[in-house]
Amino acid sequence: MDTGVRNRKNKSSPKADKNGKNKIQEITASVINNQDSLKESIEKLKHLTEPINRDSVCGWESRASSRDGKGDGESAPDTPPPETAPDDDGGTPAVTTESETITKPSPTQKSSSRNKSKKIASAAAPPPLELSFNLDGMSVTLFILSFVTRIWKLETPRGIVFDELHYGKYAGLYMQNTFFFDSQPPLGKQLIALAAYLAGFDGAFKFDRIGTPYDPIVPVSAMRVVPAFFGSLLMPTVYNVLVELGLSHYAGALAAFLMIFDNALLAQSRFILMEGILMFFGIFGLLCILKFRRFYHQPYSIPWFTCLTVGAASLGACVCVRYFGIFTFLLGFGILARDFWMMVGDRLISERQLLGHFLTRAVIFITIPVSLYIGSFYLHLSLLYKAGPNDNIMTSAFQASLEGGLAAIVANQPVKVLHGSQITLRHTHGRTCWLHSHDTVYPVKYPDGRGSSHQQQVTCYSYKDVNNWWIVKKPEIEELVVTEPQEPIKNGDIIQIVHGLTSRALNSHDVAAAMSPHNQEVAAYIDYNVSMPAQSLWRVEILNGEVSDGYWHAVESQIRLIHLNSSQALKFSGRQLPDWGFRQHEVVTDKVLDQEDTIWNVEEHRYTRTEDKKEREKDLLRSEMIPMERKNLTFWNKLFELQYKMLFNNQENVAGHMYASEPLDWLSLKRGVAYWISANSNAQVHFIGNIVTWLSGTLSLVVYASLFLVYLLRRQRACYDLPEDAWNKFCSIGEVLGIGYAVHYFPYFLVDRTLFLHHYMPAYIFKLCMLAAMIEHGHYLVCQYFKSPRVAKVYVGAVGVWMVAILYVFWFFAPVTYGATDLTADQVMKMAWRETWDLIIHKQ
Amino acid sequence: MALDTSKKGKSHPKVSQGLNTMDKIIMKYRRCDSPHIWWAVFGVVCLLAAATRFYNVGQPEHVVWDETHFGKFGSWYINRTFFFDVHPPLGKMLIGAFGYLTGYDGTFPFVKPGDSYEGVNYLGMRVCCTAMGACLVPFAFIIVWEMTFSLPAATLSSSLILFDVGLLTLTQYILLDPILLFFIMGSVVGIVKFHGQQKKPFGVSWWFWLCFTGFMLSGSVSTKFVGLFVVLYVGLHTIKNLWDLYGDLSNPLSYVAKHFLARALGLIVLPIVLYCVYFYIHLTVLCKSGNGDGFYSSAFQSQLEGNSLFNASMPLEVAYGAEVSLKNARTGGGYLHSHIHLYPEGAGARQQQITTYSHKDFNNKWLVKKWNEEPGDWEDDEPIELVKNGDLIRLEHVPTGRNLHSHREQAPVTKRHHQVTGYGENGIGDVNDVWRVEIVNGEEEEMAKAVVHKIRFVHYLVGCALMSHNKQLPKWGYEQMEVTCNPNVHDPNNLWNIEDNVFPKLPNSSFAIYAPHFIEKFLESHTVMFQGNSGLKPKEGEITSQPWQWPINFKGQHFSGGNPRIYLLGNPVVFWGNLLALVLYFSLYTWDSFQNKRGFYITPGVRARRDKTLEACGWLVMAWALHYLPFYAMGRILYFHHYFPALLFSSMLTGVIMDYLLESLPNMVPHYLSSSVYPWVTGLFYSILIYSFYLFAPLAYGMHNLDPSFENSTVHQIRWLDTWEF
Repeated sequence: MDTGVRNRKNKSSPKADKNGKNKIQEITASVINNQDSLKESIEKLKHLTEPINRDSVCGWESRASSRDGKGDGESAPDTPPPETAPDDDGGTPAVTTESETITKPSPTQKSSSRNKSKKIASAAAPPPLELSFNLDGMSVTLFILSFVTRIWKLETPRGIVFDELHYGKYAGLYMQNTFFFDSQPPLGKQLIALAAYLAGFDGAFKFDRIGTPYDPIVPVSAMRVVPAFFGSLLMPTVYNVLVELGLSHYAGALAAFLMIFDNALLAQSRFILMEGILMFFGIFGLLCILKFRRFYHQPYSIPWFTCLTVGAASLGACVCVRYFGIFTFLLGFGILARDFWMMVGDRLISERQLLGHFLTRAVIFITIPVSLYIGSFYLHLSLLYKAGPNDNIMTSAFQASLEGGLAAIVANQPVKVLHGSQITLRHTHGRTCWLHSHDTVYPVKYPDGRGSSHQQQVTCYSYKDVNNWWIVKKPEIEELVVTEPQEPIKNGDIIQIVHGLTSRALNSHDVAAAMSPHNQEVAAYIDYNVSMPAQSLWRVEILNGEVSDGYWHAVESQIRLIHLNSSQALKFSGRQLPDWGFRQHEVVTDKVLDQEDTIWNVEEHRYTRTEDKKEREKDLLRSEMIPMERKNLTFWNKLFELQYKMLFNNQENVAGHMYASEPLDWLSLKRGVAYWISANSNAQVHFIGNIVTWLSGTLSLVVYASLFLVYLLRRQRACYDLPEDAWNKFCSIGEVLGIGYAVHYFPYFLVDRTLFLHHYMPAYIFKLCMLAAMIEHGHYLVCQYFKSPRVAKVYVGAVGVWMVAILYVFWFFAPVTYGATDLTADQVMKMAWRETWDLIIHKQ
Repeated sequence: MALDTSKKGKSHPKVSQGLNTMDKIIMKYRRCDSPHIWWAVFGVVCLLAAATRFYNVGQPEHVVWDETHFGKFGSWYINRTFFFDVHPPLGKMLIGAFGYLTGYDGTFPFVKPGDSYEGVNYLGMRVCCTAMGACLVPFAFIIVWEMTFSLPAATLSSSLILFDVGLLTLTQYILLDPILLFFIMGSVVGIVKFHGQQKKPFGVSWWFWLCFTGFMLSGSVSTKFVGLFVVLYVGLHTIKNLWDLYGDLSNPLSYVAKHFLARALGLIVLPIVLYCVYFYIHLTVLCKSGNGDGFYSSAFQSQLEGNSLFNASMPLEVAYGAEVSLKNARTGGGYLHSHIHLYPEGAGARQQQITTYSHKDFNNKWLVKKWNEEPGDWEDDEPIELVKNGDLIRLEHVPTGRNLHSHREQAPVTKRHHQVTGYGENGIGDVNDVWRVEIVNGEEEEMAKAVVHKIRFVHYLVGCALMSHNKQLPKWGYEQMEVTCNPNVHDPNNLWNIEDNVFPKLPNSSFAIYAPHFIEKFLESHTVMFQGNSGLKPKEGEITSQPWQWPINFKGQHFSGGNPRIYLLGNPVVFWGNLLALVLYFSLYTWDSFQNKRGFYITPGVRARRDKTLEACGWLVMAWALHYLPFYAMGRILYFHHYFPALLFSSMLTGVIMDYLLESLPNMVPHYLSSSVYPWVTGLFYSILIYSFYLFAPLAYGMHNLDPSFENSTVHQIRWLDTWEF
């Protein structure tokens, strides 16, 4: 922060030189050879600083700063203390080299030396181990106030509220060690599960739909208290962030007040939802990064390390709760990088030291979040070792590593696929289905006039079925049994694949497929004695051959089947066949080989010993004698697969949800989300913000942007409305809060999935902080431009009235935030202040 | 770089007597002392550009890739038939004009790629497009010259563009891309030239370049909407320029305001006016009915010659027994449509689908019936009964005989609306088929009129109104638009108008008086265009090109599959060199900022050269980013050729960076090498570039009879990556 001030000045000075050359030349003439005039200009500067002191008398700022007890440099009229002499020396080479720069250095040096004195003073005063955040009475008050609002009637409503459906269910599955798939990282869910575990929940409750009342066995309050706790910690954190940004304690407290009495934030942190946890980790991480600036002059001290590591860990945790936290992480990282860049400009630090600083920061900011992330997944995968209902999204190999489920089926099956193996071939990635054929042919003509081969259909079927069985056959061997010696299939071998029940060979030929005319049709070959010979040879390409020495293994080998005549790969096209194909999925061959849908693997597997069906059962028994060669998947294999599926498998898209909203709607609070409604009254939880806060927040962003533009335009014409320190403060507010808002909001315009109002919450916090900052800035301007303290009092009074309005609206909407009050239809209608707010009324 | 600073003084090239003529020439070239050298180099570059571009321009003699579209559009302009396309009209209009001027008569159908051009005068259009494409090379030369005033940099940049086979391929055919690239580069030429005139503001050439920029900007936007990125670029350039003017305290504010107004006039007002002019020409030239009619409103269509609404070809009033088509009255609305497919399971009742469809089709015909009786024949003598406001009617789908029907079931996409189906057999259905006609702002008992009236169809039992919007049905509905019954009766999407109205017993009347004027037509075409553009989503299972693949030249695009084969692929040397140059630029930038921040001393000579390079590169990188990064955020279907505008800027950047390195190189090597290293490295660079061009040129000029399976074929040798599929 302090360095920021100085460097900003350095940067701006050449511009000022260029612009006001005439003026400057005048001064230069007087200054150039005269060290006395330097003192003169220092005197001038002192006069400049005086008005600031006078102004601050009327505001809360002075009270704040005196409360702060730090005695900031501006109000101290003393000349710089002698310690700063080396600094001046360091600056002299620049003065001597070019005559023009001598004009500006005087204020620069002056202020930098002042800053230095301030820094040194502040560094000397407190003990090095203190973290002031813990001892702050204001923070504690805010936390308690906020916590009380959150845990009041925590148990009501005693039914599943909105996404508790998911998160509660996940907690239950953790209790039962059953694998589940979710496209967000697990940390938040684990915290809730931990609370549930401590409260003795055994997971024996079915979270089936929103509104279902909880059994007495479900420790609702224990689970809900986790988000409530984190959501309440958020308030003191935000308060401290604002103080860290150089705003007054009053502004910090105001921001916390706005957040405590916002209905949306309250609702979002009262139920088993992720936002409270997510936002706390994010903002706390930012706070640490901002605090870190304080220890600029005590590098490698304990508080320095504490701030950096805790910041990295907290921001990392934020990403581990939800991927969207990456934006908070990037913001924190950006602030750190910016501060480091300022440090680069500090010539008291040698290059070697800079490198050391760079490496320390890089190492801490890479290792801690990464290990946290991997750690949470390690916990996730080691806790969830049982097969569950929704693990079929994973590959067979993954499923087989889970207890029960597929593992039980494939437990004793042979590993090596041989000539004569009976297999089911699963489409490995994406939709779960198995290569299938049945005794029905393709229709002779399609509705659009194209013809088909009229051969037996081959499809991909999403259910287990006896028709999913195929037999692997080497073309040169006639008998369909496993021969001695065994004939294992290697990478690159040519095989035929014969359908188990109909004994027809998998075939493809130059006929357009039914639903994807640009691909070739795949069929099971019937010899009609026409001019279409069988083209039933396929080459096996094993994609992960290194794990099995190039042999084709059941379950773990991922293969591609290349049709020999056309060099195209067997592919699941994603299209569904019409009624004649029993609405199963189409299978084709495609000339683009390298794509996910061409990857298959053997799931179930047994050896054919004889072609006589009666003998088959006997053979099956014998096949069980073959020992297991399969290794379990390592953690890393599982992690990589899970990561891959999480990042590239967005299936949860509920198109056109009734309460979905657009990012633009969020600015004006156009729609809320109905979270819960009582089955027998109009008591309900409706997720909607405090409209007064909300709109003022949006307004504050506009105000900031326009003020910034005005100041900037005037500065370019050398009209400095704000003194340098106030301008720096104004800029750093924009850097952290404005950019923070932008990175949490604008990415949603590019997101191609259903969005809800609660996605706006992280950005909303930044908006509220900006609102508080703007109110303080307004006060500053009022003090600056109207010299009478009465106007300032009026301003404070207006803010007070506005705060009362916020309290009133909060109280008015509290019934739908807590969901504890039975409402009449009239009362509900009264709350629908805007036509677009769809509160629910039961029909009589 | 430390070497750089220490040796600069010594090694600064001196023209001494000891140098031979070759060295003198090189020295002159490096310093560009006289305009003769400039013009000589420029001339050579232009000649080479013309030679490479026009060589083999007539090959292949069949329709190549998207020529099937743009050639067709050109023909339509010549024939004056109306069509619909998602791009603005200028590019296609130019193609049409080229064809017209070179004697193409517009009769060739351009059905599909690969159709032979036998006897068709297609060469004129190709040559004109190629000529525009060839201008890119001199443009690049001028841009880099204006930015750096370094002849080697200008030559390097333009030769990178000259020897890229991808650009060569893309600019040799009847496509929008050569035209678009021409205008984009032209805009940049304009703005840098304009910037060069700042010493003489408000002079003649100052105004000329300002207007030139404005003209080029209008051209790029009205060729394709991606031309907007260059507008953004020019805008940023102008803002920076104005910001500096404004910051110069010696300029009074009124003077700054004058500058601002002049730029607003040249760069905002002029392009907008020109853009409207192009549309005016477009709408005036295309005055005959064609296949694009259905996308536009009935009133719009009444101005097209040959359309059923043109010139009194159908009755005004609607009678019972008339066959009508209904068009949704919102802009870009489709026709009420049905076909013999049912709604799938899970999407309401399994009855016949009702959709809206933008094309004119037999399946858009509906028969107007009274709610309780079947209409008579067109031939009998029964008195004519007209449909009045408030009447109860049924609508029967003519081809399938099903009635328009609705019931309390969820609509397939918009769950809060009711489903609309086709129900019944041969016109016999149930009471849910009854709809009440409501004319907007209509008097009681007023006659319903075709085209003129906006009509609401309210379901008699449920009380909801027939509605359509631009939400698409999934694949089972052939991605046509959803039709629902909306409980909110006053939704603006509930309005329909009757378009075709076939009833021989009534006299025809004219609709010309209802035709919209230019502004309305202009706005309507835009709504329709944007709707069409957003509908260009990749279909499921279709493999689209990804933006990350483009700069690394990961995969090309088939242009012509027949003989000769053409494959659009960048010159890998250029593409990968560009990537390297980007990395170099960013390292140089970081290094320079670091040095500045640490206050290192840098000799003024080096400082000046570096500042100049970094400034030029900064603008070029920004232009590259503006033309490349937005594609990551686009949901529409993308192709490799979308990268080429960005490629131009990236190549120019490479030229500038190369020049900087070449100039720094003599200072980094031992002294006895420093005089010879420049010519050798330059020579090596050009040799590699030209050799790679020679190697890959067959991709652009056509590969003849090359069997890819033949191991030693040229094609096999140049297939450096497995993903190149030629």
